[in-house]
Amino acid sequence: MIKKVILIALLSAGALFAQVKKGENIEVPYISYDIKMGEGFAQVQANCLTCHSFGYMINQGPQSREHWYKKTMKMITHFKAPISKEDVEIITNYFAEHYGNGK
Amino acid sequence: MQRRDFFKMSLAVSAVALSSSASAGVTTQPIDNRKVSRIAFPEKKPLITYSDRPPLLETPREVFSKAITPNDEFFVRWHLPEIPTYIDTETYTLHINGLVDKEIHLTLKDLKENFEQVEVTAVLQCGGNSRSAFKPQAGGIQWGSGAMGCAKWKGVRLRDILNRAGLQKEAHWIGFNGKDNAAYYESPSFIRELEISELDDHVIVAYEMNGEDLPYLNGFPLRLVIPGYYSDSWVKMLSNVTVTKEYKNLFFMDVAYRVPDNDCECEDPNDKAKVTKPITHMNVKSVIGYPTNETVVHHNSHVVVRGVAWDDGHGIKDVFISTDEGKTWEASVLDVDAGRYAYKAFRFSFKPTKYGKTTVMAKAVNRLGQEQPLAKDIQWNHGGYKYNGIDTVTFEVV
Repeated sequence: MIKKVILIALLSAGALFAQVKKGENIEVPYISYDIKMGEGFAQVQANCLTCHSFGYMINQGPQSREHWYKKTMKMITHFKAPISKEDVEIITNYFAEHYGNGK
Repeated sequence: MQRRDFFKMSLAVSAVALSSSASAGVTTQPIDNRKVSRIAFPEKKPLITYSDRPPLLETPREVFSKAITPNDEFFVRWHLPEIPTYIDTETYTLHINGLVDKEIHLTLKDLKENFEQVEVTAVLQCGGNSRSAFKPQAGGIQWGSGAMGCAKWKGVRLRDILNRAGLQKEAHWIGFNGKDNAAYYESPSFIRELEISELDDHVIVAYEMNGEDLPYLNGFPLRLVIPGYYSDSWVKMLSNVTVTKEYKNLFFMDVAYRVPDNDCECEDPNDKAKVTKPITHMNVKSVIGYPTNETVVHHNSHVVVRGVAWDDGHGIKDVFISTDEGKTWEASVLDVDAGRYAYKAFRFSFKPTKYGKTTVMAKAVNRLGQEQPLAKDIQWNHGGYKYNGIDTVTFEVV
């Protein structure tokens, strides 16, 4: 059974196909991922999306709870992200639930 | 929603969400059904798109039927999301400091006018290219086979720049930093370190790629080019070169881009190796650019298999093709040499004899006699690095 995970990319306003002229401001397109809503998403938004895209996370594929926990901890240990203990648990639960592999 | 429609979705993530976990340690062919995005990034054609921040773009398979990867189809992988969106080419400066006799600060004009200009054609491949082949899924972006490309790079020898500054006697390590930054101020920079002994005359600071300025997303205006090495140390938007005596402990050196330090560079998913080493040199590998898994040909057609093969600079000796699922292998025709670090393009003509699915496999062998293993014989490592299984495509004869 295929899960209905429909991810639709939307273009941000702006001339994305314009030629880049070096020495002028370059605009990298913004991708709006269709994110699975659920408990914990507010914490994901506050802690994760401030630094990187949603695609950067979910393109790691469905992963185990342990994987998501370790990734979250890596952000604290190595990238110095100010994520609280409570949020670590909530974020781990969110990914295990929506982007987990059942393990 | 039907499966076929599903795969038509433009974002690569669609396919990832589908893959199911297989039994431990079984390596397969990398994922190959992803479509390019409808969104084109600056100076790029639409590519397979994983992330916009930082930008992560993969080159589709069919591009690898050519020995040179065009700039607008060349893959993109940044580590940090804050990339300057404005470069002043008049004032952009490369700083050389640390254990040097004299700190120097070079503008692009200095580099282009006051140093010998050199060129090298070299393959740039992410250490995690083809990561989606590993089961259980290794951590990291689930790349197909297109986190790589080959370009003719033009620039200045790093050694010439270092000699201009003058290395002090105790100089041993060189750290490279680019202009990209993390979103959070306390996050570490993407600094790479190399031992001076690793830097030969082929290592250059490049400002040009395939006869054009480097594309913005490939590191404009300057990047490090380390032929034969995986791309993790090819620092983009290079701005600072610091010479030191001691190795500095850095996240992107000590934790990322490492494989088990044993002969097979492999480990048990449930009992990971304690000692690891950096990935450094590329292993022998080939990818088929044509046909693809979507090719359909009429019977009686001639099929010219085309692809590219490379290693870390020892050079490709042969690329063998099998059209009978690996029972027999025949040598393909190799292009003339574009240099030992470049893609070696290969071609092999044949006429399919039966209707339906036909499988083509490619196996490269280098001058040391090292050859690609079958995908299923590739052993697992936690980061999903250095996959080099025999490439397989299945096309259809109707």
